[in-house]
Amino acid sequence: MSRAEHATGSVIVWHGQMKRRRALLLRGGLYVGVGLLWLVLFLALPALLLVVIAMIQRGPYGTFVWELTTENLTRTMGWGMFGWSADTLRILGRTITVASVTTAVNLVLSFPLAFFIASRPRRSRMAWLALIIVPCCTNMVVRAYAWMLVLSPQFPPSRAAQALGWIDDGAGLYPGPLAVYLGMITTLLPFTVLPIYTNVERLDWSLVEAASDLYASRWRVFRHAILAQIRPGLVAAIVLTFIPAMGMFVIPKLLGGSKYMLVGDLIQQQFGESRDYPYGAALSLVLMAMTLLGLWLSRRYFRKSSESRGGEAAL
Amino acid sequence: MKRLHPALYVAALATILVIYLPLLAVAAFSINDAERGFVWYGFTLKWYGQLWHDQRVRQVTVNTLLLAGASTVISTIIGTLLALGMDRFPWPRRVRTMLDGVVYLPVVTPDIIIAASLVAAFALLRTLSSFFDPGLPAMIIGHVTFQVSFVTLVVRSRLAVIGTNLEEAARDLYASTPYLMRRILLPLLLPGILGGAMLALVLSLDDFVISFFTSGPQSTTLPIHIYGELRRGLTARTHALSTIILLATVLLVLALQRLSRRQTDQ
Amino acid sequence: MRLFTKIVLSLAALPLLLTGCSDRGSSPAQTVNVFMYSEYIGDDLVEQFEQETGLTVRIDVYENTEEMLAKLKQAGGEKLYDVLVASNEAVPGLIKLGLVQPLDHAAIPNLSHISDEFNDPAYDRGMKHSAPYQWGTVGLMFRKDKLANPQDISWALLFEADQQPGRFVMMDSMRDTLGAALKYRGESMNSVDPQKVKAAGELVLAAKRSSKCLGFEGGVGGVNKIKTGEADLAMVYNGDAIREGRDNPNIGYAVPKEGGDIWVDVMLVLGKAPNAGGAHRFINFILDPQNGAKLSNYNRYATPNKDSLPLIRAEDRANPAIYPPAEVMKTLELLHTLGNDIRVYDEVWTSVKSR
Repeated sequence: MSRAEHATGSVIVWHGQMKRRRALLLRGGLYVGVGLLWLVLFLALPALLLVVIAMIQRGPYGTFVWELTTENLTRTMGWGMFGWSADTLRILGRTITVASVTTAVNLVLSFPLAFFIASRPRRSRMAWLALIIVPCCTNMVVRAYAWMLVLSPQFPPSRAAQALGWIDDGAGLYPGPLAVYLGMITTLLPFTVLPIYTNVERLDWSLVEAASDLYASRWRVFRHAILAQIRPGLVAAIVLTFIPAMGMFVIPKLLGGSKYMLVGDLIQQQFGESRDYPYGAALSLVLMAMTLLGLWLSRRYFRKSSESRGGEAAL
Repeated sequence: MKRLHPALYVAALATILVIYLPLLAVAAFSINDAERGFVWYGFTLKWYGQLWHDQRVRQVTVNTLLLAGASTVISTIIGTLLALGMDRFPWPRRVRTMLDGVVYLPVVTPDIIIAASLVAAFALLRTLSSFFDPGLPAMIIGHVTFQVSFVTLVVRSRLAVIGTNLEEAARDLYASTPYLMRRILLPLLLPGILGGAMLALVLSLDDFVISFFTSGPQSTTLPIHIYGELRRGLTARTHALSTIILLATVLLVLALQRLSRRQTDQ
Repeated sequence: MRLFTKIVLSLAALPLLLTGCSDRGSSPAQTVNVFMYSEYIGDDLVEQFEQETGLTVRIDVYENTEEMLAKLKQAGGEKLYDVLVASNEAVPGLIKLGLVQPLDHAAIPNLSHISDEFNDPAYDRGMKHSAPYQWGTVGLMFRKDKLANPQDISWALLFEADQQPGRFVMMDSMRDTLGAALKYRGESMNSVDPQKVKAAGELVLAAKRSSKCLGFEGGVGGVNKIKTGEADLAMVYNGDAIREGRDNPNIGYAVPKEGGDIWVDVMLVLGKAPNAGGAHRFINFILDPQNGAKLSNYNRYATPNKDSLPLIRAEDRANPAIYPPAEVMKTLELLHTLGNDIRVYDEVWTSVKSR
């Protein structure tokens, strides 16, 4: 990009065009303008409103009392009516655990799937991808109920578990932790597979061949030639899986018998039966903060890895 | 393409089977001659017949399709513009980060928070105009708000794949911007745009939370309707409805795939 | 720029498309918009009203009070509906928030048919804002063959490990389930004493942790589990239990002897109703003794209309699950709105669900 200082603004060469920077950015502004305005109006500003609501008090009947308080935020950390209790932190911890396990299992399952689809003839690849995506289009709640069906006591999966002694006779795998994880994993799998697949499809196999030609063990080939190239897709997959998993509560609730609360449950309760919007807003902010932290961490990792990628891939 | 280790084959196919297992169960029970429960009584298509005659279901389906169609069109246009704007212009680093942040906020924000924000936004805007009353227009706005980011994401990744070489070559040959757009960029971008549109469509069809908070009388959508049915107890009719949705989606996706294949073949 | 023109044109066309598709056919004066619980009124009764008055009825449904409140308050639904059918618990809040208007008793002469027990309720003295619709109870639905003594139903069946008959389901509502535990301990369901509610919470927690507990469900979920045989005991609404259990003599319903909660659903007219006149006509129609009887015979709940009672199906009239005898009625409590004190329940419920 070469620059020439001009009386009316710098001129740059951008994608083969020579134009004034300002004129270019103005046109860029037109492109970006509508979308940006929309998102600011309907998302960014209201989100700020949530921040405000998190700091005021709840009035009777769910109205607002416009007085500042930090009580909602301290309550998210556990300081409630009965003194300090670990309940909220337990809920947060449980949410992170469920989200992490789901993400980890999804990552492991995505590899065979991504490689499998990439190994299909070019024409049928879209069809296979569509096969993975289509279940997403059915209602999530319906799929949860379908799992309840499949995992109920009279059906083969539960009968097998009964025979193996994992569960009592006559009991079902639903409600239970296995049911919850099955539901979460199958719901979020498409989000994990797609980013990984886009990288696997464009994998430079010559590097893999070069590595094995140099007598690298299969594991080293995998780690340095394949994994290194897929890293951006991995990061995207983690982001697109972990974050929705953190906010999900319908599936764990339905398949877990509503026995154990996750953060999403707790938030929904505040906007529901408890009618405590300030506390709900405070919880939402905590959830968002954890989410953004995860995103920031993954971006740092990505930047770090893309700098070292040149070195590793050349192996 | 390299041969695949047989273990990977098995793992992949097994995973796909497990994903489809509950859906197959739903389909199986939609043709079961029992209104509730899990016992097989016999084959019947009567539940589908009942659905066909149910006026409320028809109304709800029309609402859903209308909402999905309108919101997908709008969000695809805005999202594509946004993607082009973010990627093809020399923004300073700070602006770029800010744009990234705002645009990708919906992707990383859980549904319920977006819904809460939208409800707050509409509550304020309603004081200005009754256009923002609960109903189809409000629902469309709500859907577009979260669809745009996903469309932008998909189109941008496609832009990255296309690269700038062709553009630069065209400019070297004195191509004007409209020509560049029409003949070179947009055709190359089309798979990305269609992919983004498909994603937006799927997101709209499956949405419950946001639709619920913005729907007005007579603008119920299928997910809301099904949720209500489920709260009242699963019936074979719900299974039939879900199976229809599944089949319709399969057909839609296949159709889109053939469409995009024809485009890329050209 | 062709792209730009295309965009501008399509955006301009959309509003036209939308207005064409939205239903603006009938004017507000011709319609009555009702917001109520699902499956609460028979189609034939609605048609009868439409024929008698020439008005069109549109019904939107909701599944629980919070949805309803969120819809009316946050989502601006208060201008869209005329008649609201809501639970008694929500009434004081609705009045306080200014969402409903006082009833014009002159327009509803049929109010005189309401039984004495319901015509001056604590939640709305003198029926200034509300008219009773149906009432019922929350109790236990059970499989008779799994119980040692089907005549003696107590909340102990849920909360005492040695008395649990088999797999069971509790209600996923903090007021109802914590309230049941409170009742079992001899306290009021409207208690806001933190220690009492906390102790009730411990009972629920112990029950939840039992391997026989299938979890928490909404009322209908519990009913379905009993029907399919997955559960032997569930906390449910009486109407759901009776409607779904009538074909099976092995299924029973009762209010536990310690008592439980009685609920009354009422009809209200929204403050910003587009057709308040139509709303009043609808309410008056429902309160007509013949129509009230048809309503109750359809949804199997109890009618608050004393002149409908003779017209109720005989088996329902004699069924203690629908019309409890006097000694049971004494043990029943109406749930009051707790205002800010709901926080006690919220914290205890969260604690129960997190451990």
